[in-house]
Amino acid sequence: MAKKKPDPFFIGWAKKPPKSLHGFLFFISAALVGAAAGVAFGIGSSLPDPGDARFAWGAGYQTFTGYVDAKPYPLLRLPAGEGGRSKPHAMLISGIGKRGMQQLAGPLSGMPVDAGGILLKRGNLDMLQVGGRVSLRAAETPVPNFTPAQAEQLGKWRLTGEICDGKCYNGAMRPGTGLAHKACANLCIIGGIPPVFVTVTPLLGQTFFLLADENGEPLSSDVEDWVALLISLEGEVERRDDLMIFKVKLDSAKQL
Amino acid sequence: MSVKYVPVIWNRTKLFYDVIVLAVVGAYLGVYIYVAPMFQTVTRPIDWDIYKAQAFGTCVFYLLTFILCIGPIARLDKRFLPLLYNRRHLGVITCVLAYFHVDFILGWYNAFSPINRYVSVFVVNTSFDRFLGFPFEILGVLALLILTVLAVTSHDFWLHFLKPTLWKILHMGIYLAYALIVAHVALGALQSAAGPFLTGVVGASLALVTTLHLLAARREHVIDTQINLMDDTRTWLDAGDPMEVPDKRAKIISLTEDERVAIFRNGTKLSAISNVCAHQNGPLGEGKIVYGCVTCPWHGYQYRLEDGTSPPPFTEKISTYRLKLENGRLWLNVKALPPGTYVEPVISPMLAGGS
Repeated sequence: MAKKKPDPFFIGWAKKPPKSLHGFLFFISAALVGAAAGVAFGIGSSLPDPGDARFAWGAGYQTFTGYVDAKPYPLLRLPAGEGGRSKPHAMLISGIGKRGMQQLAGPLSGMPVDAGGILLKRGNLDMLQVGGRVSLRAAETPVPNFTPAQAEQLGKWRLTGEICDGKCYNGAMRPGTGLAHKACANLCIIGGIPPVFVTVTPLLGQTFFLLADENGEPLSSDVEDWVALLISLEGEVERRDDLMIFKVKLDSAKQL
Repeated sequence: MSVKYVPVIWNRTKLFYDVIVLAVVGAYLGVYIYVAPMFQTVTRPIDWDIYKAQAFGTCVFYLLTFILCIGPIARLDKRFLPLLYNRRHLGVITCVLAYFHVDFILGWYNAFSPINRYVSVFVVNTSFDRFLGFPFEILGVLALLILTVLAVTSHDFWLHFLKPTLWKILHMGIYLAYALIVAHVALGALQSAAGPFLTGVVGASLALVTTLHLLAARREHVIDTQINLMDDTRTWLDAGDPMEVPDKRAKIISLTEDERVAIFRNGTKLSAISNVCAHQNGPLGEGKIVYGCVTCPWHGYQYRLEDGTSPPPFTEKISTYRLKLENGRLWLNVKALPPGTYVEPVISPMLAGGS
């Protein structure tokens, strides 16, 4: 007599699954747990390097004395010697969180100031998150014999790169670039954080440009449509101390 | 089955199922959050909140892919049916994990701003006319809404309130949610925040889900396109040789695209009932006769062969059909009888000795 073929049938409310399914179910369960661990490891361990951008919490609260330029976005003009630099340095500043410094910097524009806060650093780039006891105020003891140099005009250029917000790129968020970060970057720019252009190839050794409109004023809200995309932009480049400023017409933007 | 509603009717299988699901989630999140960082080649670690958001988001994608594979793979290989039994708990857990993903994102990317973090999702990126740069977060929000509706209505109360057909249509929304999540990932994480492995996983997941569904659809198509002769009155359909019906199992006959009949054999007796379970429209014809009742392969709902009615105290009813034997052939009356109608089984003496 032919042996009857086993016909296992699973019923959820039964006390146990059919014996002939035990091995299979154990194997499937183990495979699912193993696959979950494998996929998690594969994705988690292969993420792109977000770079060395960071808040320099270890350096503690720092104060700087120099001049403030309110346009196109607030920046500190510091004399040589500040932070160990041999040449004058122009440093972007921001408020706490996604807030710019326009309100405080506007009335002080062109004047000697004290600024205190926490530094953000990305390689040679830095930004000061202003706050705390000093915040931004008229300088108590201005730096003697220091007046910021005039901006140097470097001509018209078409550059390729990505518009980011200057604060996240400098270390407020890691990663602080790319489309996944676009909403955050837009929130920063809406809040007054300076938009910056990070180029694919350097111009005169620089890949980091503060953005302004063609008149050197803050960009319109149209910039938000172009944030986090690989684009080319055309405009005049000027240099204030060691900071490049790219004065663009957003109409010239082309998505690549 | 359907006597009264309790929040969750626990049984040993469901507990095992949930333990396995929690083990899968635990393994995924544990490895992602605590093990993988040790093997990253990064100058500085990714922000903790962003990293956790990625962990939970990709875990949701992994679980959703698995959920969508269960249906077709269980049609192709019945050994996978246990995976289907408690799929609703899997869906609810997936939805909860999705909320964690959103919470981490809103608490980091959308925080620290004068604009309300919830409002900001809808107002800070309005590039709806772009492909790259499209506000992919909104696709995620829509997917989350769907997952929430599905999780909330996953209880049998809603199944009975909405009736199985509408409930099934609603829960087919899982496919729309998956499509939205694929687009959400493709236009967001894959554009900048992901390594090549995630791109490969998303592509492989899509290919797996699509392939399994196509294979299952081909199998269904074979049933739907089988040709059965009708008699002159167009009321009786030739259902073939009774010997073709395996004992305790069924042969499925397709009357139209929307109507299938399961002809079951219990020893020498043959009965025909609707192929559609009254619970979740499960394929009764792929079930088995257990304790004298047809048992649905999905959740174990049972029906008596003679009248398509669940044994007391349960009350489900399905349509029955008439059968007759003529010249050794089995004939099926194509007119469905009202659910619960008693039909005397056909006895085929020739089945007495064989299987």
